[in-house]
Amino acid sequence: MNNLHGILFTYQSNANLRELTEHRTIASIPYGGQYRIIDFMLSNFVNAGITDVGVLMHESYQSLLDHLGSGKDWDLSRKWGGLKILPPFAYAKKRGSGEFRGEMEALGGVYTYLQQIRQEYVILSTCDLVANLPIADFFESHLKSGADITAVCTHTPIAAPESATYFSIGPDGLVSDVLCGGHKSLDCESLDIYILSKSLLLSLIDYCVSHNLTSFSRDVLLGMGHSLSIHPCFYDGYAARIQSKTAYYSKSIELFDPTVRASLFRPDQPIRTKDRWDPSTYYGPDAQVEDALVADGCIIEGTVKNSILFRGVRIKKGASVENCILMQDTSIQEDAVLRCVIADKSVTVHSGRMLMGHESYPLVLAKGQSV
Amino acid sequence: MKKECIAMLLAGGQGSRLYALTSKVAKPAVPFGGKYRIIDFPLSNCVNSGIDTVGVLTQYQPLELSNYIGIGQPWDLDRTVGGVHILPPYVKEGSKGTWYKGTANAIYQNMGFISLYDPDYVLILSGDHIYKMDYSALLARHKQAGAACTISVLEVPMEEASRFGIMNVNEDDIVYEFEEKPKQPKSNLASMGIYIFTWSKLREYLIADEENPASSNDFGGDVIPAMLNAGEIMAAYRFSGYWKDVGTIVSFWDANMDILSVHSGVQLYDKSWPIYCRTPTLPPHVIGQTGTLSHSLVSGGCEVCGKVENSVLFHSVSVGEGAKIRYSILMPGTVVEKDAIVEYAILAENTHIGQGARVGAAPCNVPPEDWGVAVLGSGVCIADHQVVPPKAMLESTEEEGHI
Repeated sequence: MNNLHGILFTYQSNANLRELTEHRTIASIPYGGQYRIIDFMLSNFVNAGITDVGVLMHESYQSLLDHLGSGKDWDLSRKWGGLKILPPFAYAKKRGSGEFRGEMEALGGVYTYLQQIRQEYVILSTCDLVANLPIADFFESHLKSGADITAVCTHTPIAAPESATYFSIGPDGLVSDVLCGGHKSLDCESLDIYILSKSLLLSLIDYCVSHNLTSFSRDVLLGMGHSLSIHPCFYDGYAARIQSKTAYYSKSIELFDPTVRASLFRPDQPIRTKDRWDPSTYYGPDAQVEDALVADGCIIEGTVKNSILFRGVRIKKGASVENCILMQDTSIQEDAVLRCVIADKSVTVHSGRMLMGHESYPLVLAKGQSV
Repeated sequence: MKKECIAMLLAGGQGSRLYALTSKVAKPAVPFGGKYRIIDFPLSNCVNSGIDTVGVLTQYQPLELSNYIGIGQPWDLDRTVGGVHILPPYVKEGSKGTWYKGTANAIYQNMGFISLYDPDYVLILSGDHIYKMDYSALLARHKQAGAACTISVLEVPMEEASRFGIMNVNEDDIVYEFEEKPKQPKSNLASMGIYIFTWSKLREYLIADEENPASSNDFGGDVIPAMLNAGEIMAAYRFSGYWKDVGTIVSFWDANMDILSVHSGVQLYDKSWPIYCRTPTLPPHVIGQTGTLSHSLVSGGCEVCGKVENSVLFHSVSVGEGAKIRYSILMPGTVVEKDAIVEYAILAENTHIGQGARVGAAPCNVPPEDWGVAVLGSGVCIADHQVVPPKAMLESTEEEGHI
């Protein structure tokens, strides 16, 4: 399926994620033991046969650049096409500093890139969604519908209403109304994944840029909805949206549910991520482990319960970790006790320390901290 | 394009003493230590030592090995000049060309490949040892001694010396005599099968060796003795550290158990000398509520709900509730159903152990003459409640395993 070009918006950082997005965007938050959130959408694209993907970024993108590299780990390191990093340089020249005010403004900054893509259709997506999606089916549904835009949506609300877009469906099966930024969730929520033709996208960008319109949902879907046919394409499988610290924590814990794992980690549609050199994980003679999701390269000599351990985590003898998420290369020394803690990369908790959060308010230790 | 030193890795051997484990793959491609294959060790050593051109000589069952190495990207050996090359035997003009007759003949047949890089030195490696070694130190020793050949040696206990090829050296560690498996060893310096040659010298001796119809075309048996007799300077390089030949079922099992001792075997977690490997895309492993683990290695995609002790679990292994795994090696894709017991066993890829089945036994529970590590070849299925005795060696037929 070479006729679809992927565009990922990776510049969102969310105040509700606090320490986790201090040095990075949502797209590069570590998730599920070895992934970054962008891995899910990027893998969805690749699994659907998409060969060319443009990644739009703005501020705090160093961690993302480091993660993506040449795109080799997603099979996107290509002589022609493949992964293209799109930093905000063109935009910065025109407007100076400041974050993108919306998708249309971000796309306006890469107008010439979009003109040159070799596919007829474009899929736009944000990078805060954890899901294994049948993108190829969405594309087929778009072509069949003959609509101007296909909006992927779900019947099960998953986002915070203030930041979500909802649709009403008319008798013709098309979107009849678009609601953004309300306070109540409705039963047809947009997953912020849209498919449209390259030519339509370019003319929409042209119009928006010249009219100082910035948002795809508010200015295009809502503002121009009367003259566009928007086809809703439903996906009701598992999807999680990471918009806050508590959502990050509770959605991560859902990975202990075998049905959630089965829908996310499908052998026929693997989620790819950056490769490291780690050996297997070693469990010592005194290790006690119950309900744990553990990546490679850990050395576990203490107690771990209901926790997610990323690559290279060390749990020393006598240490006890329960309901925690410990990101890569974090080290928990002898006899330290952690409950409901999210430890970012390379955190060290020294021996005997006791750190307690709560399910409703997990304690977050920022990257590289030493406690 | 000139390279100072290139490596030639002998990976064509069958490894017949690994029986069922190598009936379908070459020995260097046998899974080892949770994530690796044996060949990952010499390949990673090359890259970590700054050698970026490696010829891998294949002959026996090369498909899986060639497929695994690919273009070498897991080892950073996908290079514009150099990198990893698979070198199988080939047909030459006038239907000449033969299978590789011996280790030296394999190199002889690939002199054209070596000449492409016009190297000063050629490193000869084999694909059946587990160790971490800085070949640049070996090369430095070779240059310092001004040798034609430098042989890496390991000090072994004197009582075991008669099992090895022994190098007798003078006070400067220059070899004056080589004895293959001597009954009365004069020294305890065992050859590790790792040689570095000055290429111009080696080339000369390979051509002479090929012209000698009495020669078995082997490095240890022919080329090294010939060089020694001709009075070439042969230096010894003393290696200290972990090194293990994994050529037999027992030594293969032992070496895997050594890996478990994080601080005694080859140090896999040492970031300064990583061992690289090709890994499939898999999620992290999961330990269920009923899973218990002790002194074991677990890899990506595993699901453990049973009891695992002193064992190595490769990727995508599943251990059901109530199952017990002790002192065993479970290769990728192995499934152990509920309540099955696996002890002192090596289960090759995609084996399936039915509910309540029993494979192998602890040495304390069997007469010593009946005990041994049980080995199941890849794809063997053991039916529910079936018993596989210790020391058994099963291989799969089209339908199912048989003894």
